Amino acid sequence: MMNTVFSMPTKRAAQQLMGAVMLILPSAAAWAQVTVLQNATVHPISAPAIEQAQVVMADGKIVDVGVDLDVPADATVIDLTGHHLYPGFVHPATQLGLTEISSVAGTVDTREMGQINAALNVEVAVNHDSELLPASIAGGILTAHIIPGGGLIQGHSAVMNLDGWSWEEMLIASQAGQHIAFPPGAVDDEDNEDLSRINSVLDQARHWHQADAAASAGNGERPPRNDQLQALGPLLAGETPLMLHANRYDVMEAALDWADTQGFDNVVLVATPDVQHIASRLADADIPVILKNVYALPMRRHDGYDASFKAPRVLAEAGVKFAIADATRGMDVANARNLPFQAGSAVAHGLDPDIAMKAVTLWPAEILGVGDQLGSLEPGKRATLFAANGHPLEPMTQITHVWIDGARYALSDVKARRLYDRYRQRHPGDESP
Amino acid sequence: MRYLLSSLLLSSTLAVAQTETWTPDIEAWNSQKPPQPDAVVFRNATVWSATDKGILDNTDVLIRRGEIAAVGPDLSAPSDALEIDGSGHHLTPGIVDNHSHAAILGGVNEASRISTADVRIRDVIDSESINIYRQLAGGVTTINLLHGSANAIGGQMATIKLRWGAPPDELVFDEARPGIKFALGENPKQSNWRPAEPRYPQTRPGVAQVIREKFQQAADYQADLDDAPTGRAARTQVPPRPNHEMDAIARILNGELDVHSHAYRADEILALMRTAESFGFRIRTIQHVLEGYKIASQMAKHGVGGSTFIDWWNFKAEATDAIGYNPAIMHQAGVLTALHSDNPELARRMNLDAAKAVRYGGVDPHEALKMITAYSADQIGAGHAIGRITEGHDADVVLWDGHPLSAFSKVQQTWVDGRRYFDRQADQRMQQAIAEERQALIARALDEGGSSSDEAQASEEATPGHQHTFNFARHLTGYRPSELDHDEYCVFHAN
Repeated sequence: MMNTVFSMPTKRAAQQLMGAVMLILPSAAAWAQVTVLQNATVHPISAPAIEQAQVVMADGKIVDVGVDLDVPADATVIDLTGHHLYPGFVHPATQLGLTEISSVAGTVDTREMGQINAALNVEVAVNHDSELLPASIAGGILTAHIIPGGGLIQGHSAVMNLDGWSWEEMLIASQAGQHIAFPPGAVDDEDNEDLSRINSVLDQARHWHQADAAASAGNGERPPRNDQLQALGPLLAGETPLMLHANRYDVMEAALDWADTQGFDNVVLVATPDVQHIASRLADADIPVILKNVYALPMRRHDGYDASFKAPRVLAEAGVKFAIADATRGMDVANARNLPFQAGSAVAHGLDPDIAMKAVTLWPAEILGVGDQLGSLEPGKRATLFAANGHPLEPMTQITHVWIDGARYALSDVKARRLYDRYRQRHPGDESP
Repeated sequence: MRYLLSSLLLSSTLAVAQTETWTPDIEAWNSQKPPQPDAVVFRNATVWSATDKGILDNTDVLIRRGEIAAVGPDLSAPSDALEIDGSGHHLTPGIVDNHSHAAILGGVNEASRISTADVRIRDVIDSESINIYRQLAGGVTTINLLHGSANAIGGQMATIKLRWGAPPDELVFDEARPGIKFALGENPKQSNWRPAEPRYPQTRPGVAQVIREKFQQAADYQADLDDAPTGRAARTQVPPRPNHEMDAIARILNGELDVHSHAYRADEILALMRTAESFGFRIRTIQHVLEGYKIASQMAKHGVGGSTFIDWWNFKAEATDAIGYNPAIMHQAGVLTALHSDNPELARRMNLDAAKAVRYGGVDPHEALKMITAYSADQIGAGHAIGRITEGHDADVVLWDGHPLSAFSKVQQTWVDGRRYFDRQADQRMQQAIAEERQALIARALDEGGSSSDEAQASEEATPGHQHTFNFARHLTGYRPSELDHDEYCVFHAN
C-alpha cells in the first residue's frame, strides 16, 4: 500500500499521502499521557489572562492552567510563543450538520413540515462528515448547539462537538432544549389559532403523562403510545429548558407572559436584537437570551442604523446573561465560522471586550447546561481550545492550532486550506512561467 | 468686489458652522444636502492612502471645494477651514461597493428574455432607499447597482454616489464607465426553480452558445448600420430597423460598454473570456468569481478583474469550492481583485470582509483595504476620481475611530464630495429627535383614547408583501419593498 502511494507521483497520490500523515498527528498526541501547551498568553475567560503560561492536558481534559506548573518529564510539549490560547467558541444556535448545500433539497434537513414536531431529535441527522464542520472548526467554533427548525413545537436540540467519527461520538448533550416558536399573531389575539394549538397539545401531554404515571403506579391502564406527547415529558417536568423563539419585542413579552401562565420556569429566550427593549424584564426574571444576529438589518425602518450592533451592550448593561448567535439558519450555517466577528462588532458599539468573549464561550456553555464541561480553560473541563495569533474576535486574526477533547485537529486538512495549498502553487504570480 | 469677497468669506464661514450643526433625516426627501465648506482639513490622522504612498502616520489631508487638495504633514490651510482632529483616528477612502442591488425600484431581475441588454438600472434608481443612509454609516460612498443574474445578459448598470437626499439623477456618477451585467451558471440556466415554461438554455454550453450568438447578431447589426447608405442614396433604401438590445450589445463590441459577469465556476469563466477574445474585446470583471483562484493566471493574462464575496460558500452546488483564500491567490497572480457585498446588510461592514483577506492568505492590510476602495473603483473605471486619498480625487473619505479593518472600530464620519453625509454625532441627534417625536405621538394617541401598542400596525406590515424579500427579513417592519430587494436567483435560503 505504501509502495503504491510512493510510486504514483500523481496529484491524487500526493494528496492521499498528505492525508495519511495528517491522520497520524492527532493519534500521536493522544498516545502521550500528558500534553503541555506552553509560553502562550492563556485566556481562561473565567479569570484574567495569564502571560507566558501553560495549559496541561491529559485524557481529553484540562489538568491544570498556570505558570511554572509541574509536568511529567515524558509529556509532549508544544511551544506557543507569541500565541494566545482560548476555549473553543460555543455556537449557541445553528443548524450545522443538518444542511450541506442549501439549494439542493436532498442535502437539507433543517425544517420539518407540520406544526407539532416535539418528538424530533436533531442529532440523529447530523452528518459528521459535512464539509461545513471543518470550516467551522477552522474558525474556532468547536462546539455547537444544533437546533431544529419547523413548525410551532419544533423538537429537541443537542449540544455537539463539531469533530467526531459519528454523531454519537460528537454528542455532548441531547435534549438540550425543546423549541417553541411563539406565534406573532397571539400578541393581540386571545383566540390565536396557533397558540391554541400549542396550549392544547401541552394540555394533552400533561394528561398523557399523568395517565402514564398513574399506570406506572398501578392505578389504571397505560395510555396508548403517542410519540409527540411522550417527547414533551422532559419539558413539562422542567428537566429540559423551554427554548422560546420570538422576533419582535412585543412578541417576546407575550411569549414570556404565556410561559409564566404555563408554569415554565426553565426558559431560554431565542430572540432577535429587538430583545434589547425588554432587557430589564429579562434581568429581573433571570432569563438568559440566545441573541440571533448582531449582523441584522434594524427591525424597523426608522430604527437607528446601529440598532442591532448595540443590542449586546444594552443587554450587558441591564445584567442579562446572553449568548451571541448568527441568524442560526440559511446562508449563515455555512458561515457559522463568522460568529466571533458578530461579538467583535458589538465591541465597536460599546460592549466590553471581556463580556463579548464570554458571550461566545462561557455564557453559551452555561445557558446550554454544559458550563461544567466547556466555555473556559479550567481544570476538569474538556480540553477543547484553540491558539490564535491575535484577538479572536478580530477578522484579521488567524487561528493556528485547535484541540478538541485533547486531540490536535489537522487544520491543514480542511477543504479550503487544501484547495488553497494546491492552487497557490499553480498561480504563484510573477514567477509563473 | 470687496462686497463679493466678504460675502464669499461669510458663506464659507457659514458652511463650516452649518456642517457642525447639520443633522440628517431618516427620509431622503426631507434630508438637507450637507454644506460643502470651502476648505476642510483633517489633522494628524493615520491616512490609508490606497496609493503607493501606503499608510501615512500623523498626516493631514486638505479638502478644497469637494476635492482632495493636499496630503502631507503639517499642511497649511485657509484660516476659515473646518479643522477636524484626526489624532487617534484613521482616514480611508470611501468604500466602493461594485456589486449592489440596494437602491433599485420594482425588481432586480428582468428575467423575461435570455438577453435584456436594453434595460437600464439608471431608469429605476431608488434615491429614497434607507440602505443609502445605512451604508454611509458603514463608510460606503459609491455603489454599483447591477441587475440580478436570472438571465445571461441582464441589463445596464448604474453607478451612484451615496448623496443621501439627492434625487436619482443627482446620484448617478458618470465618472464610472458604463457597464452591463452578464450572468453564467445555475441562475441563467434556471437550475434552482421550475418555471412553468422553461427558457433556453438549460445547460452551461447553452449559456455560452447564446452569448456567442448575441455577439454575432450584434456584429451583423452594427455592420448593417455601418453599411447603410447615407445622404442621397438613403432616400431610396429602408434603413436597418433600430433595435435597443442590439444597440447595447454592439456597444460592448465597440468597447463602449464594459461586461461585468456573474460567474462562479472556472469552466464558464474561461469560456466567457475566450468568447470575448474571439470578438476582439476583454471582459471587465467577473462578479463573485468563486473559482477565480483556479484560473487566476489565465484571468491575469486576459486582463479581467475579479470581484468576489470573501466567504460565502456552499449555498449552491456551484459554490462548493468557494474559499476565503480566493482574493489572496487572485491578487498574487496579478488579477485586479476587489470585494463586494451583494447584500444591503453586509454592505454596512465591508471593512471586515477586507479584514478577512488578511485572515485568509495573509494579504497585506493596506492591499486588503484597496480591495474595497482603489481596486473596486478601478474595476468600474472610476479609479481616476475615487477610491484613493490623493490630490485631485473627489473628497470621499471615511474617518474611523480605530484601525479600519478592526471589528472594534466604527465609522465616525463619511464624506462625499467634501460634504459630511454621515456624522456619528449628528446621527445620534437624529435618533434622539425621532425617539422624542415618537413618544410625543404616542402620548397624543393615548390622550385621544388610542392604543399604546405601537406595533399594532406592525404585525400587518410584517411581511412587506413582495416576493423578492429576503426570507430572513420577513419580520422586518416598515420597509419599502425595494429596500429589502436582492438578486433572488443568486441567494438561496433553505428556510
